Amino acid sequence: MNVLFILVPLALSLALAGVAAFRWAVRDGQFDDVETPAVRILLDDSPPRNEAAPRP
Amino acid sequence: MSVAAPERPRVAWRGAPARPAPGAPAAEAACAHCGLPVGPRPVLTGAGEACCCTGCAVVRDALAAAGLGADYDRLRGFDPAARPGSRPKVPEALALAELDAPAFLAAHTREAEGGRRTVELFVDGVHCAACVWLVERLPYEIDGVEAARLDLPRARLALTFDPARVRLSEVARWLARFGYAAHPARQSGSGGATEAERKLLVRMGVAWALAGNVMLVAFALYSGLDAAADPALAAAARWVSLVLAVPAVAYGGAPFFQRAWASIGAAWRARDARRLHLDTPIALGVLAGFGQSAWATVTGRGEVWFDSVAVLIAALLTARWLQLRSRRLAGEASDRLLALVPRVARRVGPDGTVAVVSLDEVRPGDEVEVPAGEVVPVDGVVTRGASRLDRAVLTGEARPEPVAIGGRVEAGATNLSAPLRVRAERVGEATRVGRLLAWVERGEARRAPVTLLADRIGGGFVLAVFALAAVTAAIWLPAGADHAVAHIVALLVVTCPCALGMATPLTFAVATGRAARRGIFVKSEEAVQRLTEVDTVVLDKTGTLTEGRMTIAAWEGDAYALDLAAAVEAHATHPVAEALVRERGAGALPEAVGEAGDVEAEAGRGVRGRVGSHTVIVGRPDWVEAVSGPLPAPWREALAGWAAEGHTPVAVAVDGVPAAVLAVGDRLRADAAALVAQLEGSGKRVLILSGDHPAAVAAVAARLGLAPERAHGGVSPEGKRDAVAAMQAEGRVVLMVGDGVNDAAALRQADVGAAVGGGTTASLVAADLFLTRPGVAPLLDALDGARLALRTVRRVLTLSLVYNAVGAAAAMAGLVTPLVAAAAMPVSSLAVVALAVFQPAFGLRASVSGLRNTQE
Repeated sequence: MNVLFILVPLALSLALAGVAAFRWAVRDGQFDDVETPAVRILLDDSPPRNEAAPRP
Repeated sequence: MSVAAPERPRVAWRGAPARPAPGAPAAEAACAHCGLPVGPRPVLTGAGEACCCTGCAVVRDALAAAGLGADYDRLRGFDPAARPGSRPKVPEALALAELDAPAFLAAHTREAEGGRRTVELFVDGVHCAACVWLVERLPYEIDGVEAARLDLPRARLALTFDPARVRLSEVARWLARFGYAAHPARQSGSGGATEAERKLLVRMGVAWALAGNVMLVAFALYSGLDAAADPALAAAARWVSLVLAVPAVAYGGAPFFQRAWASIGAAWRARDARRLHLDTPIALGVLAGFGQSAWATVTGRGEVWFDSVAVLIAALLTARWLQLRSRRLAGEASDRLLALVPRVARRVGPDGTVAVVSLDEVRPGDEVEVPAGEVVPVDGVVTRGASRLDRAVLTGEARPEPVAIGGRVEAGATNLSAPLRVRAERVGEATRVGRLLAWVERGEARRAPVTLLADRIGGGFVLAVFALAAVTAAIWLPAGADHAVAHIVALLVVTCPCALGMATPLTFAVATGRAARRGIFVKSEEAVQRLTEVDTVVLDKTGTLTEGRMTIAAWEGDAYALDLAAAVEAHATHPVAEALVRERGAGALPEAVGEAGDVEAEAGRGVRGRVGSHTVIVGRPDWVEAVSGPLPAPWREALAGWAAEGHTPVAVAVDGVPAAVLAVGDRLRADAAALVAQLEGSGKRVLILSGDHPAAVAAVAARLGLAPERAHGGVSPEGKRDAVAAMQAEGRVVLMVGDGVNDAAALRQADVGAAVGGGTTASLVAADLFLTRPGVAPLLDALDGARLALRTVRRVLTLSLVYNAVGAAAAMAGLVTPLVAAAAMPVSSLAVVALAVFQPAFGLRASVSGLRNTQE
């Protein structure tokens, strides 16, 4: 049972990493619009352009 | 299924439908539905037509069964450009010019790397996945646009472009070809709202992460990890819980503490316990629970309540976030600002050149040019040109008025037919429109703030809890201070109004979210509550009771003559022309007849032209009679009757013989009468206040069955506001419905203001409700939905209070341990959530008015 003294802090640090990622994602605006990405999966990829402009 | 075609055309039926296919000749025939080759194994429809696959055949059969086959075939053959009746929206030239102005670019676009700029535009008219696809094709279609990302529910387009290669006006023009109106997202307020929401979301996420971990540890403690068996581990578990709970309370609970402190201050100053916000007992419970648990951890004795406290905070933050999010959706719907008065103007310089300048630079005495189709930017006098003005924005009047040299024009009116030069007399805020808008935007708190039901309970709740705590102390002190403290803390944690605090925000969030899906956007919960108190409804005529545009109100004679008339009038801008083209469609004629030619207009009288082999005359009945001979008597009577109702009479003669007569006017909506009756039946007084001609308004009132004194025409915007104020002085609670600037002041003044779809900036800013579906039906839905929502709120509050009462009793009896509290809280919260989510308000069944969602 003493292994818990190692495991619990380990688990908590993983959780901390998760929370940090969450915070980054929110500040990056990824949670602002959760409905349109659901619609975007229905769209086909367009054929590549001839010009050098990058695809979004 | 047939063999797949070698290449799929992107849009199969624009222009030539059939494509030859390689291989067997029989496969060349075009599918009757989609136009692709039928392939070697065509599927036959019920009518014997060959289709490429079962899908097409089924669709074709379904169309035929619905009686739409013929129309579908006819429409399919059309080249959209040849249908002037379906002109895509041409964006205002001034609005486009504004998009390109360097000042605009500097103010509203942001620098990105490599000289590019990013901008956010509102795009009106996007509904679905196909719209997303279309709009996000911008980078492929326009050179210089690097990225386009559409936020569908908010209708915002985030655009990255290179200003050296493309101008924003090109983008707006391209979008307009498909009917999407793009305008700049000027409102900076919404940016701020997103920031607050994001912060709350982070707080909520962190709170849940912490609560989850605390629960894990607490589970260990409940499962028997006791001090006896393994003291080191048990103590460690408690310390870990403490360490996790500290940020949960300090960071997650901070908003609650702030609000509670503020409300305590307010209550202390007013010496009124009722001022205490519901956050006060929450803050109390959290602090008591945490404090006692921290003490227990440090001293090693007693119970810990960390998990209940952490979950409490996380759940309440979730409720607040949901509430904020639904409020944002409603607020943004009304944030979509159309430029009511353009921010730029075309000023005529001393040498006669016309320059586009910012409106702030125009002074009284300057001359501005207003081309046809644009909005007049200033109040002033016409110095050159004669045209017709659409003053609907100010007066609500559907009919355009002629104006000539020396005539007055107002900012906000649309110049319809010919270019005008206007000498400015009043500019910006000094114009009539400007003053109205300023009043609307500044407007003092025009009514006492509504305290929501739940907030009123807050104060009493705290006192009740204190009383119960005192009783508990009295009961348990004889048994020892330890017991007393433990049970008091148990009481405070269990009665912590988690469910109560979630009840109102959740219920309203769900209700407003559902309402939004049905086209009813509510800006605040107070509006919902006030809707249930309304006893007087004031309606605007144009656009609400009537369709808001010129249509053919009635006609007699030959339908084909109307089609010919529409073809002749296809390119005119007269309201008669609009009505004809809209109703009949200029392309409705069989191809053999062809387009109209030799079209000549006689000012003030009518239009004559030739369509195919027919000569067609459309115009005033007396002029048509003079040219083509007398109209039959029954038609004359019909015309007289229509004129008396305030419509415009028009006659059509084909090949020298009168063929049809029609009345052009603003048609009353089909459901208006029934719905007004329903409103009155539910005990509300209904009035009409309109800026349109008193005769037209009286006619409408008569058709609706309203008493004549309940309908007033020719009312100015200020008059509407005063009328509403007078009714409020009598003690009535007024709901005002309108759409134009002429209603904005009254919308602000009323207890609840509802702006109807297509409303102008001013009415959207002034209103509490925004109805995207036109007509009276959504109003009834809103009233009914509000009533049901409030009923649910009351039910949920009752449930919460019952739970709290039971919990308090159990705590006082000493039955409540942390395990009990931890189990009871989710149960009560889930019950609240279930009631809120499954509430009947704005439900999916048919609305009160008996109409399904009618989309226009």
